[in-house]
Amino acid sequence: MNQEQTYLLGEQAVVLDLNCARLDDAQQNRLFALHRHLQQLKVGSDIVVGKTSITLVLKNPAHCSTWQERLLTLWEELSATDFQPTTHTIPVIYGKQAGPDLLPLAAQLDLSPQDIVELHSSPIYQVKFLGFLPGFAYLGTVPQQLQVARLDSPRTQVPAGSVAIAEDLSAIYPSGSPGGWRLLGHSSTRLFDAQAQSPCLLQPGDNVKFVPQKEGLC
Amino acid sequence: MLEIIKPGVQMCIQDLGRFGYRHLGVTQSGVLDPMAMKIANTLLGNPLDTAVLEITVGLSQLRFHQPTNFAVTGGDLNARLDDCALTPGWRYFAKSGQVLRFASSPSALRAYVSVEGGFNLHPVMGSDSTDLQAGFGGIEGKALSAADQLSYKACEEKQSVGALQPPYQSHIRVLPGPHCKHLNHSTEQLLCSQQWQVSADSNRMGMRLNTSAPISHQVAINSQAVLPGTIQLPPNGAPIVLLNDCQTTGGYPMIAQVISADLRHFAQLAAGVQVSFSLATQVLAHQETQKQQHHLNQLRIALTHRDRSFS
Repeated sequence: MNQEQTYLLGEQAVVLDLNCARLDDAQQNRLFALHRHLQQLKVGSDIVVGKTSITLVLKNPAHCSTWQERLLTLWEELSATDFQPTTHTIPVIYGKQAGPDLLPLAAQLDLSPQDIVELHSSPIYQVKFLGFLPGFAYLGTVPQQLQVARLDSPRTQVPAGSVAIAEDLSAIYPSGSPGGWRLLGHSSTRLFDAQAQSPCLLQPGDNVKFVPQKEGLC
Repeated sequence: MLEIIKPGVQMCIQDLGRFGYRHLGVTQSGVLDPMAMKIANTLLGNPLDTAVLEITVGLSQLRFHQPTNFAVTGGDLNARLDDCALTPGWRYFAKSGQVLRFASSPSALRAYVSVEGGFNLHPVMGSDSTDLQAGFGGIEGKALSAADQLSYKACEEKQSVGALQPPYQSHIRVLPGPHCKHLNHSTEQLLCSQQWQVSADSNRMGMRLNTSAPISHQVAINSQAVLPGTIQLPPNGAPIVLLNDCQTTGGYPMIAQVISADLRHFAQLAAGVQVSFSLATQVLAHQETQKQQHHLNQLRIALTHRDRSFS
């Protein structure tokens, strides 16, 4: 049983907190359905999905108490089938310079490099939420066999386009940045362009399929 | 055109911020002191959200290449126009070739400069603000450097005028955060019952606070949306007050939220300064925001009368 609740964050934001360790697929899609529904209502200046929550920053703070109740009602009313995700295919060159952590990881997990590629590219991932950098999507879920901790010491510079994993999540670095995730490959897909009409390729709830390219390991 | 001769520690273009993209990991950016920005724009008859220059620490020089009215607001960084000392909260006229200098001050950290009609900029994702980390907005996504130029339209001289700005404080009012219940119940009291010292490790992303009695813990929460003004408590027990350039989500417990009206004070808190907190209510928070709105309205009305009597 979830003990979902709503509360105010400051004067202008209302949070629906599902108060659980993780969401199952149905709850996750219900949360994305709620996100999309709120976007269409245009009542929020920002609406941000978290791991087990959604935060609605209202344009008009006078409506906060109304929305504390309305968010709970909407959560009750919406269902997982109200959300239809877009699926993106992302070509990836695995291994060598494109993925410097792939071989050491194979050795650490006692798997072949091809196993790593197979394991990483087999699931359809979902964008759980974005953060850290503009367009940085947290993708779940990495197969159990491939779940490993972050590097002990983060790299000072991870190149843009790096396809990486950490614990149960995968990601593609939209821009160069310091980072502690394990780099398995590289994608040339443009993820974020501030000047574009639609700046961000991946939206909360979208699906992502990685496709190994023959230029790398596959 | 306004030429940057010397940018000083940090000078950047900011407006009220970038809204509507936090779900994509895009930070708000924007001035740390919205009140100072709105006062500057009110003094010049600009729309309140017109982008301004945010000057941190000072030690900077700018040259006007066309005549314009400009306003200097925010902290008193001992600004001068050529040899004439300027008062923050006032509007002045600059002739072509005049140089605006900011020294520095032990008691202030940020000043704001606006020109009549605003600078000619190219908004990115609905805002002129510079996103310094992601590298877009403002002028090529960067803090300004020597020889950078900002274009604006020349205008005719107006009478110099100004008013006292609302004072800055180091006592900050907060609303309770959602995660105190996961920590020790006395967390809010612990936050409010001691003096905190601003760490040198502070910037536009956040202000770290030190004390001899940190509120250490071992609680993690699921990552959720954070906002400017959110006070996070990492396990080391030294709170971080998130500011405009903060990330969009965080996994540290959120123990309090600074009331909107008090966020401007963080623009002036330098490393080593003592800060204290007290708990406020939603009602008080709204009243304080209204007070600021009234201040701006009164200033606008007073200026309208004065400018009319001079013309």
